[in-house]
Amino acid sequence: MSILINEHTKILVQGITGTQASFHTRRALAAGTQIVAGVSPQRGGTEHLGVPVFNTVREAVENKGVEASVMFVPARFVKDAVQEVVENEIKTAVAIAEGVPIKDMLEIKAMLKGSKTTFIGPNTPGVITPAGACLGIFPENIHTKGAIGLISRSSTLTYEAVLETERAGFGQSTVVGLGDDMIVGTGFVEIMKLFQEDPQTKAMVILGKLGGTYEEEAAAYYASLQNPKPAISYIAGSLAAFNDKMGYAGDVVTHGRITAEDKKNAMRAAGMIVVDHINEIHLSLQNLSL
Amino acid sequence: MNIHEYQAKQILSRYGVRIPLGKIAYTPGEAKRVAENISHKGPWMLKAQIQSGARESGHFIEKRAGVKGGIRCLKGHRDVLEEAAKMLGATLVTDQTGAKGKLVSKIYVEEFCLTVQKFYASLVIDRMLSCITLLVANTFGNITALAQKEPEKILRLNLGLNEKISAQQAMQISAFLHLKEKSLKPLKELFDAMLKAFTSLDAVMIEINPVGVCTDGSLTALDAKIAFDDNALFRHPEILPLKDDYEEDDRSLQAQKFGFQYLDFDEGSIGCIVNGDGLALSVRDLLYNADEKMSCFLNVKGGVDKDKISAGIKIIMTNPRVEGILINILGGFLRCNLVADGIVSAASEVGLNVPLVVRFEGTNKEEAKEILKNSGLPVITAENMEDSVEKLLTAMKEAA
Repeated sequence: MSILINEHTKILVQGITGTQASFHTRRALAAGTQIVAGVSPQRGGTEHLGVPVFNTVREAVENKGVEASVMFVPARFVKDAVQEVVENEIKTAVAIAEGVPIKDMLEIKAMLKGSKTTFIGPNTPGVITPAGACLGIFPENIHTKGAIGLISRSSTLTYEAVLETERAGFGQSTVVGLGDDMIVGTGFVEIMKLFQEDPQTKAMVILGKLGGTYEEEAAAYYASLQNPKPAISYIAGSLAAFNDKMGYAGDVVTHGRITAEDKKNAMRAAGMIVVDHINEIHLSLQNLSL
Repeated sequence: MNIHEYQAKQILSRYGVRIPLGKIAYTPGEAKRVAENISHKGPWMLKAQIQSGARESGHFIEKRAGVKGGIRCLKGHRDVLEEAAKMLGATLVTDQTGAKGKLVSKIYVEEFCLTVQKFYASLVIDRMLSCITLLVANTFGNITALAQKEPEKILRLNLGLNEKISAQQAMQISAFLHLKEKSLKPLKELFDAMLKAFTSLDAVMIEINPVGVCTDGSLTALDAKIAFDDNALFRHPEILPLKDDYEEDDRSLQAQKFGFQYLDFDEGSIGCIVNGDGLALSVRDLLYNADEKMSCFLNVKGGVDKDKISAGIKIIMTNPRVEGILINILGGFLRCNLVADGIVSAASEVGLNVPLVVRFEGTNKEEAKEILKNSGLPVITAENMEDSVEKLLTAMKEAA
């Protein structure tokens, strides 16, 4: 097993006819992902890369029984794209685009409340289940199927952590990039719950970074578990200087000044293994008796 | 994107926030004329327009500007002329500008408002609750310090995505601030106006620090700050021209032009090129552990245009403080070969005079390595992040 998607999941590509969408769709198809439909307004009835194209998500769902979607639509259209997947009760959706307006994200978050959709992103590499399905833009040839569940708030560090699991001699059950943006559709906790339940996943790797309290929520959830699977975590940005130059000023007034050390301490206190450098992850993984 | 106080006040005033009479001045003579037009008699406020908080407690680098800070209260026309002459063209240093300070090229001249009370008011985004949050405090000045030391002195109200505050919320704010009853209506009007501006303009922060309570109970914005969501500026073509390019350094502006992020740390000698801010944070941590410092970094994000990437790389290559370059690319959306092409074309234009270590991983990595090999450039390739740091430090020692 894996989480969110596997080799049987019927996948839709929203905005399939674009250049980037075509590039990554071709790769995903070659790797065995079940891409059964594409959506591109006014292109309905045609085929693209051998995939049938529909005008709307509704038509794709009605004709092809779509279960998951990856959005290659530009940032300004992500809100509409999410509305379509929520209305059609698609279980898992990923938005790749960078630069979705914050106000749109506030409205998306309101839409998602009580919906049947797990929305990942935006500004993320997406979700990949090695040897199963790729819902996004992950690099080629770095993943193998295995026992580690990976969740990350930093797109590029996701790849780095994947390489660390490989270096330790493990593969990944599923890799989930939550997205780099200030507000993202899904936080750590929802995904940790899935990994905790997934028999294939033996341990989790969690990559956090400065900004917000996503890591504190993860720590609180982890502490509440009866038999948690081992979790190794890394927080990017130990140096305070970054906080002032890169952070959102509103964070301090809403939640106080939170440093990487604060986050690490919360995670340690919850029983997670915390590493100071991302390239120490493989060492910690090797120490686990999985 | 941030704007100046005078611009923020003009915008807020259009939405119904009361502001003192005032006008921007670029010369001392202009400042005097503005003051005369506002009123026969003083006092007037002279306010240096740089994008920074704590202007009043700041100081000027130049002696001629006098010992007072960037906000001055003056009684006579002649004082306005003299003090404006002192401040204009001088460099103001505050808690937030760094030691370099910022050049004062314009002054906002404003009527002086007699107030009986001042308080802090702002609207921000709470990313964890995904809502707009209203903050007030019965004090003014450094709100981040207050948020850390005495958070109970700040009232936070979750406004959801509402376009107006409720009557009950207005009462709660009023009670928290100990305002008189006659200020209740102005209070609701103030926040409704701020909220309208916030949601209509895709702001991410509107701060009035402080709001002045006048004897008749009315409320006036004595200062104003608005930060806009860069990603939503396409919806507000009228806002973009308000950007003051002098507020940012040239390299950062160039990077923005290409859709990249550039940050300069005013320290260290290593320039980094990455794709992702998490990666920048991680590399910086690694360098720090090796007793080295990141001088600046360029985040090319998911760039897919070869020419833009080349132009971005030049920003780092031509930074005179950079004595070694570390390029760490984990290609997903971004393809490594585009970065390799960018390196070659940038080096051919501006020359490569410092050690450069490249680490490619992910999409089209082998193709990228091949491009660098065939270029004949003295580029060092590394296998992983710590290897890239080690190789760069060794090469820099050899070069020194």
